[in-house]
Amino acid sequence: MRDFEVGSAHSHGPGVTTGMLQVGYLPDGYPMEIPVIIVQGAQDGPVLWMHGCVHGNEYCGAYSIHQLVRTLDPAELKGAVVALPVLNITAFQRQQRMSPFEGYNGGDLNRHFPGNPAGTLTDQLAWHVWQPFKKYADFHVDMHTAMTPDTRWALFAPAEGPVGVKAEAMARAFGYENILPSPLSILGGSSLIEGAKAGIPGLIVEAGGLGPAFSMETVADVAQRLRNVLRVLEMLPGAVEQHGAVTFFSNFAWVTATRGGLFKRAVQCGQRIAKGQIVARFYDVFGELVEETPSPEDGVVLATGAGPLMPPGEIVVHIGLNPRAA
Amino acid sequence: MHSIEIGTAVSSAPGLAKGFLKTGELPDGRPVQTPVMIMRGAQTGPVLWLHACVHGNEYCGTFTLHELVHGLRPETLKGTVIALPALNVTAFEKNQRMSPFEGYAGGDLNRCFPGVADGSFTQQIAYAVYQQLRRHADFFIDLHTAMTQDVRWALFPNLPNQVGRTADGIARAFGFSSTLPAPPDILAGAAAMTAAKDGIPSFLAEVGGKAANFTPEAVSDAAERLRNVMRHLGMLEGTMTDYGPLTYFSNFAWVHATKGGLFQRSVRCGDRVEAGQPIGQYFDLFGAPAGEAHSPKPGVVLAIHAGPIIATGETLIHVGLDPQQA
Repeated sequence: MRDFEVGSAHSHGPGVTTGMLQVGYLPDGYPMEIPVIIVQGAQDGPVLWMHGCVHGNEYCGAYSIHQLVRTLDPAELKGAVVALPVLNITAFQRQQRMSPFEGYNGGDLNRHFPGNPAGTLTDQLAWHVWQPFKKYADFHVDMHTAMTPDTRWALFAPAEGPVGVKAEAMARAFGYENILPSPLSILGGSSLIEGAKAGIPGLIVEAGGLGPAFSMETVADVAQRLRNVLRVLEMLPGAVEQHGAVTFFSNFAWVTATRGGLFKRAVQCGQRIAKGQIVARFYDVFGELVEETPSPEDGVVLATGAGPLMPPGEIVVHIGLNPRAA
Repeated sequence: MHSIEIGTAVSSAPGLAKGFLKTGELPDGRPVQTPVMIMRGAQTGPVLWLHACVHGNEYCGTFTLHELVHGLRPETLKGTVIALPALNVTAFEKNQRMSPFEGYAGGDLNRCFPGVADGSFTQQIAYAVYQQLRRHADFFIDLHTAMTQDVRWALFPNLPNQVGRTADGIARAFGFSSTLPAPPDILAGAAAMTAAKDGIPSFLAEVGGKAANFTPEAVSDAAERLRNVMRHLGMLEGTMTDYGPLTYFSNFAWVHATKGGLFQRSVRCGDRVEAGQPIGQYFDLFGAPAGEAHSPKPGVVLAIHAGPIIATGETLIHVGLDPQQA
């Protein structure tokens, strides 16, 4: 039995508690608040912190967290799940990645942790989330989507010692085949990497695509896999389901468009590709082919642009490098 | 062979001519230019005008027109196809329905025809386009998408004269089961309604869903149905496909959401619904059920909101009323 206070969500015993956490102010002076759900189990155990919609239009994560939370029975839960399904609420409302009120520094919330109480809007948002996160979280799952419905991959931070060991166990229990043990030198400012540095093992799940580009089957599957993560953390009873062999990568290559136009991808998520293989095609407004984009590397497709339009600088393809059975 | 000039697209011989029609000017003084394709047949025949992306993010229509035009051969084409695949080009670029430069009057281009030469940004687009459409078109087809991937319906202005009867023939050749012979008093300002009243038989198809929601199969199917329309109009040789009997409606009910939140639909396009039947479920930010949406009328689902979030005033559902085999 523990006491949790995350904004107005106060949990002092077994059960489900909801409330709102203030993370800033809107330009009209109203508080900017985000939803908090605390499910406290009947027995003691660790705290799993989950959040979604760090990028506002990655709704599949919010739906997956909701689906998981609805299935949790405090009577069989050890420890607590603290879930914040919608972190970047103003971006969520506007169906965009970053807050419409962020005017500086790009506003990618997943590069702003641990935040700054006197920084930009997104810095301040990160700081308000980081305080209860650091106080309560023993483990952490951050839900993302890439662009297309067939996105299915995961990352964990392979930190030294038990933090890395636990994170890898969570990734294997989640069980997506394609997994990046993310070098600590990349993705600085993400809750994954900053959490790992603070001793909190974590996992990023990339499931489904942007906006409405995900299915309820994906949501149900992700919720089942998250239950398996809870089992490996001994927070839920039952045998840990074995998902089979996984593929680890050494890093990823992020290919951004250097031209604009109508866009059609030529590869699917999960597909093996060879250097030089065509991964996307660009067309002009008359439908004429104007460029074929070759892959700069060998690897596995983790994510692709969805099209049908693309300006320069958007992501054409995200490639997992040096795949190896693990 | 007489010359057809639409902006910089000049066609005076069989084959494809491309160019741009100026529809306004940007705030930096540069022209707003919409792409124009003129495919001229070797033999004389009527002029079929098609356009897409009246609503900027309805890209399925763009790809359908590209596939149609690039599949035509001048030697087997009688007459001319004029295709404007990205009509509302500033909205098209921004992946939104209406132009980012429209500050007045809502900016729904499909309510602005025949346009105003010195009106709002969108009224001026409508004017520039409609001058050309009225001058050149013998028949007119407007491509739209509604919201979700499973959208398949059509309408034609059902004027009580030969224009209406010819449009009825086009609708049957296109062959979507769900078709609305539109009463002449609805959708004022739509290009199809305006053109029909000026004596040009017109047809509007809703295919495939907004932005990235559509599939290549929907594009190819729509392009083939357009070829069937061209066979019916005597512009292409070949045996016509009989798509079977159609279901005609007396009108539609266009229902706006009066509640916001997370939204998951429970019916598909083409489903029969009863008055009061649940059509979707709202959830709050915590994932708790927050009420059902209901069909206000009996009929057939023509379009429904894609979710995963909805604000008040967005189109919740579009129901075809009084379905009858026709």
